[in-house]
Amino acid sequence: MNSIQRKIWTLTAVVLFIMAGIWFALTSYNQKTQSQYNEILQRYLRMNEVTGASQQTVTALNNYLLSPTDDNLNLLERSKEKLRTARVDVLDLRNSGNEFALTNYMNLIDSLLETTDRSLLFQSEKESEDSAKAFSEANRISKYISEMTLTLLDTELRTYDRFYRSIIEQSAELKRLGIWLLLLITFLLLNFAYAFSLSITKPVQKLTQSARELSRGRFDLEIEVKSNDEISFLAKTFDRMRINVNNLISEIQQKAQLENELQQSKLLLQESQLRSLQSQINPHFLFNTLDMLSKKAYLEGSEETSDLLANVAGLLRYNLKRLDRPVTLYEEVKVLGQYIEIQENRFAERLRFRTDIDESCLYVQLPGLTLQPIIENAVIHAVEPREDGGTIRFAVADDGDRVEIGIEDDGPGMDEEKIRSILEEHPVKSEGHSTGIGFANVVRRLRLFYGLEDVIFIESGPGGGTKVRLKIPKAGRIAKDDQASDRG
Amino acid sequence: MRKLAILAIGIVCTVLFYFTIVSANKAFRSDWQLPRATGQEQAKYRLVLITRELETPFWVQVSGGAEEEARKRGASIEVWGSYGKNQEDFLKKIEIAIDAKVDGIIVQGLDTAEFKNLTKLKAAFYGIPVITVANDVPMADSLRRTYVGSDQYSAGRMIAEQLVSDMGPAGKVILMGDSLREYYQQQRLNGIYDVLNGYPDILVKYAETPEAKEQAIAATRDQLNGLPDANAFVAVNANIAGAMVQEIGRRSRVEPYHIYSFDDSHETGPLLLQGKLDGLIEQDPQEMGRLSVELMIKWLSGETVPLRTEGYLTDIRMAKAANAR
Repeated sequence: MNSIQRKIWTLTAVVLFIMAGIWFALTSYNQKTQSQYNEILQRYLRMNEVTGASQQTVTALNNYLLSPTDDNLNLLERSKEKLRTARVDVLDLRNSGNEFALTNYMNLIDSLLETTDRSLLFQSEKESEDSAKAFSEANRISKYISEMTLTLLDTELRTYDRFYRSIIEQSAELKRLGIWLLLLITFLLLNFAYAFSLSITKPVQKLTQSARELSRGRFDLEIEVKSNDEISFLAKTFDRMRINVNNLISEIQQKAQLENELQQSKLLLQESQLRSLQSQINPHFLFNTLDMLSKKAYLEGSEETSDLLANVAGLLRYNLKRLDRPVTLYEEVKVLGQYIEIQENRFAERLRFRTDIDESCLYVQLPGLTLQPIIENAVIHAVEPREDGGTIRFAVADDGDRVEIGIEDDGPGMDEEKIRSILEEHPVKSEGHSTGIGFANVVRRLRLFYGLEDVIFIESGPGGGTKVRLKIPKAGRIAKDDQASDRG
Repeated sequence: MRKLAILAIGIVCTVLFYFTIVSANKAFRSDWQLPRATGQEQAKYRLVLITRELETPFWVQVSGGAEEEARKRGASIEVWGSYGKNQEDFLKKIEIAIDAKVDGIIVQGLDTAEFKNLTKLKAAFYGIPVITVANDVPMADSLRRTYVGSDQYSAGRMIAEQLVSDMGPAGKVILMGDSLREYYQQQRLNGIYDVLNGYPDILVKYAETPEAKEQAIAATRDQLNGLPDANAFVAVNANIAGAMVQEIGRRSRVEPYHIYSFDDSHETGPLLLQGKLDGLIEQDPQEMGRLSVELMIKWLSGETVPLRTEGYLTDIRMAKAANAR
């Protein structure tokens, strides 16, 4: 972390480092040059000092000769001392270029000192003429020294000519170096700053883009930011948020769908009930009447009629009772038997009903009144219209984790379009006289009950009979449906 | 595209970096070493060669010979002097040399009182040996250790003999000399006179002139006016020869005259080549320089003590126009 801060610090440090480097180089260079200048100046000053000291000596000598006081003598001694010091200093200036001249120079100084002493000696011995002569010689030597100084300076200039020129050249070069350095640093810093700003703004841009996508409602795009700073952290957090929001939304959608399905199933149930109620006015009165008729028929010795009436009553009761809750396959098969018995009475030889039931599978649960409408459908289409009647096969078989229920007739069959319209749950206008619950209603209820689409299959072709297969999960209905049905 | 940009930036970076480094290298390179104080031991002897005629071909050769010899023997020598026979400067240089306590002075002799005073009194006072070169000053007057150079007397004789052999034993001869009357000139004249006096039919006329060109031309004109039928001219001083030939040439053709001179100078060499001079005494200046240094060092180191007071003579020879061409 702290990456952006570190980046800024790095940039600052680099700039600072470069600046310090340049400052250091320039300062050391300056110092070096200055010390060299000083050395050169020192040389000139020393030579000049000799001239000054020699002239001073001659002046002091002159003053002393004119008025030989102690003060003047002291002055003379002092200037002589100074001249001696200057001479020693000059010794350091020796180099291969001026060796000869410098030796001469120092000897001239010696000569001057000697002549001065000689002049003093003559003065003390009162030989003023000799003294004056020595003085004039000293004066001449002093003049020679001045000239020699000029010559030496001249030589110096010639010797150091290359040196001076190189100094000038180097200062020009330094200027050029400054320009190059400026260009280089400017270029480097520009690039560096560009890369640096890009490394900050690019992730931010990406993040902005992602945020825009999110605001448009696209939650499925992954937010990916390749950087190693806080932005990347932000992006990761953002991405997690996106995933969470996405999950929540899909959950809400699922719930809404569920709610919708529940509503539908409720409506269907109501419709079924309404139908059955419409068709059966005052059912209890009807049951009782039918029961009573059954007993009466039995008492009158018409057992067959009695059984028939009992079946009709049972069937009606079942219809009214079981419609809104799950029943076992066993109950369903039982009711189916009653229904078939009634129909056999009606169609006699024309209806041939064959069953093949695996008793071990009868415990499975299924919505009430699912098989009867299908059989009824088969009777209406495959038996009723045909003079020689038809055969209906009913089979229950174990099929792994499901129980397969097959209802097969040998009627004229249906075309593709009809099958599709049934499976797509379009209400079909019922032909003839069913108990009231249509095929489509059954399909819908089965699917809702199990929460599966693949519970019902219809195989048919024109003239080839119709086979309806139900594949009922042994595990029964899923939990949510349970809940839903409880509420309904 | 991105790769291209990176490549371009890289190249620019490299170029800038290269130039910066090169420039920095130049700016901070410290090869300006000052000529350091040489720790080497000083040359054994410090000699000075002093002349009044710096940069003349003759003295260039003298100093060349001297410097070479000094280098060979590990002595240091400097050539000082004045230009165009400036005596004041010349004498000052001698005085400086004495005051600077050089080990030995090799000097072009000057036959004046100041010169003699300097060498006789001051140099002797400081104990500095003096050797005269090319031009001599008598030993007694200058206290020089020795003289190195041509024998001016025999040079005079040589030229006179040549003159007689060219001109024949009869004729009129004009001698032109420098009005400074230096010692070496006197020697030359002595030599000439000694030969020509043996021929009674040869009329000799001597004229003096200052060295300046205009005056030399005027003097030549005077002599030509005074002695229009002169047969021969002898320039006792080489520096007069040029002006003399020029003036003669203005009057008539130069060739019929027999004209002779001593020494080669700026003017005499070409004149000889052109055939305007009939003969020229050539000296050996290089040997003079060399020998004088050798003798000085030998004397200083005590190898040859004492030096021959009459001098060490170097070769002279007669260069004739016929040979030169």
